[in-house]
Amino acid sequence: MTNKTLTIGWLYPELMSTYGDRGNIIALTNRAEWRNIKVTIEKISIETDAKKLKNCDLLFMGGAQDTQQEIVNDDLFKKKGQTLKKLVEDEIPGLYICGAYQFLGKYYKTAEGKKLPGLGIFPAYTENPGDKVPRLIGNIVVERHGDIFVGFENHGGRTYLDDPSLAYAKVVKGFGNNGEDLTEGIIYKNSIGSYLHGPILPKNSEIADWLIKHALEKKYGEEIKLEELDDSLAALAREQILQRT
Amino acid sequence: MHSSIFLGKAVAQVSKVRNRPGSTWPGHIALKADVRFVRNILKKNPTLDIILVAGTNGKTTTAKLLQDALELQGKRAFRNSSGANLLNGIASSLIKHSNIIGRINYDVAIFEVDEYNLPLVVSELVNVKNKTSIILLNLFRDQLDRYGEVNSIATKWLESLKTLPPETTLITNGDDPMLRFIGENATLHAFYFGLSEKYMKKKEAPHDVDFLYCPHCESKLLYTKRSYSHMGLFKCPKCDFQHRETATFEALPNPLFGVYNRYNINAAALVLQKAYGIDPTVIEKALGRFTPAFGRQENIKYKGKNIFLLLSKNPTSFNQSIEAIFEQSKNPNILLLLNDRVPDGHDISWIWDVEFEELKSAKHITISGDRAYDMALRIKYADVKQATPEKNLEKAIHSALDRLKQDDTLYVLATYSAMLDTRTILKGHAIL
Repeated sequence: MTNKTLTIGWLYPELMSTYGDRGNIIALTNRAEWRNIKVTIEKISIETDAKKLKNCDLLFMGGAQDTQQEIVNDDLFKKKGQTLKKLVEDEIPGLYICGAYQFLGKYYKTAEGKKLPGLGIFPAYTENPGDKVPRLIGNIVVERHGDIFVGFENHGGRTYLDDPSLAYAKVVKGFGNNGEDLTEGIIYKNSIGSYLHGPILPKNSEIADWLIKHALEKKYGEEIKLEELDDSLAALAREQILQRT
Repeated sequence: MHSSIFLGKAVAQVSKVRNRPGSTWPGHIALKADVRFVRNILKKNPTLDIILVAGTNGKTTTAKLLQDALELQGKRAFRNSSGANLLNGIASSLIKHSNIIGRINYDVAIFEVDEYNLPLVVSELVNVKNKTSIILLNLFRDQLDRYGEVNSIATKWLESLKTLPPETTLITNGDDPMLRFIGENATLHAFYFGLSEKYMKKKEAPHDVDFLYCPHCESKLLYTKRSYSHMGLFKCPKCDFQHRETATFEALPNPLFGVYNRYNINAAALVLQKAYGIDPTVIEKALGRFTPAFGRQENIKYKGKNIFLLLSKNPTSFNQSIEAIFEQSKNPNILLLLNDRVPDGHDISWIWDVEFEELKSAKHITISGDRAYDMALRIKYADVKQATPEKNLEKAIHSALDRLKQDDTLYVLATYSAMLDTRTILKGHAIL
């Protein structure tokens, strides 16, 4: 694939990067570059002008600790939220993990019962039932259209989708959105919200390729066929977890 | 309390007979019988000094060095065994070193304390008369699924330290913004250790940083120098929070490798100087004859091959191990071991925060452990090609050793349980 380029917007790389989510950027970059697609990483931080977001063909945002999330929350509401909303609505592909997934929903009710408004992009909301109720922690296996994906989840908030058919995948083992309805994540336009750390993309390379393909199709307005890569190690890594379930 | 001691001693005896390590059981039983067991036995032994060593990395090395240096000064010192660093491990250690009526015939007890359990251990020290010193080495992300997030641990540390008597000595890392903040706000007698600028060579913020924002006003801190992770010379652009002078003990040698051990040495030197008036030359002498604690740069000879075991359990300790082995060799042979059992933490996402890209010039990398293929995938994405996964640990160890020429060295970077398994294979029996 010659002369194609991809600009990946990495939202808050220093703040929203607690659970190894940098691995998603590593996976996207390598998988594009292994196919001779030139990648530019645009790091979007508190100091970055919201306009920079518009140069991006693909977006990624990870999860973080509470203190960091508060700082990001403030920046999203004051500066970048509307631009981000427009990009998601315009079908710019994106991946939003854990805290980022929660941010994009309608609201987040904290453990203390305080209702914090979200960006209202995803038709979903999240509630934290309080410190006495255990967090949802552990290896997770999900299924989407016959593909099996694995990861690790660790979240206190329970997310509920307005329309459960928007779920990204079905829980095979673990908790997913809320530990109740077997839904995991959301797919809205070309954006995926998910609780899967691990990080999600290196071991589940189909998702990485789906994002790259849709980003390129959106950018170049043509159908893109990505060449196959050797993903045998990812399959073995998944197998390690599946053998335990 | 006598009955708890007796019970604990009896359990220790039974554990010994049954040939189990038993390093936490006696304390567990004693605490069941008397929940205030630790406080009560300390009250009975008011002349026993206490040194607590807390932090994500470096506890065992620092505690061992302290014990060596204190013993050189003629003090009788003991410490809890590594890994037994919860309240029950500390109780066990107290039982082991007391007689049947609860008298402890030692001068100093050195306890390494699990970071999550520090507040609980501190609460046992609030009403005792024992001279107490607390070392806070560092605080990095580690086993987030078990410990929770580092900010909340830092907050709990600060709150608990505030309950201690103000004459308590607090020795903390002045290069770490959060620990400096704790030192400045804990209302204790605080002293700061750090590194000389010549060891602060990092240009950019690495990926394993946890505290980049001012703990006072949440502005982004500016760094002029960095040692590693979030440690360095920092300054808040908005308020007056900033790095200030630290004790750097530049004249002290480092018998171990790696910059991280300089922090451990300086922490030990500072507590000895401030709480015991011991001159750094004594530490120099202790360092001269220092042998590492097990798995912490422990050197093992095996069938004519040379092996270094480096416990590497979280992003920062892995990064530091990598940096340290490249100080020793330009093209090291490496064995990477990743397990996800209870002592390692079940979540292995953190391997993506380690700079494995630095391994490109390694001669060869063998990979094993419960999550060998996850590690192999990480290494593949780091664009390091000279790597071979081998699921079976024993086979992996032998194939890594077979690749070595005589007198070559194999550097084993392993998570906790993998390190123990490796020692068992190399030494033939389990040693804790």
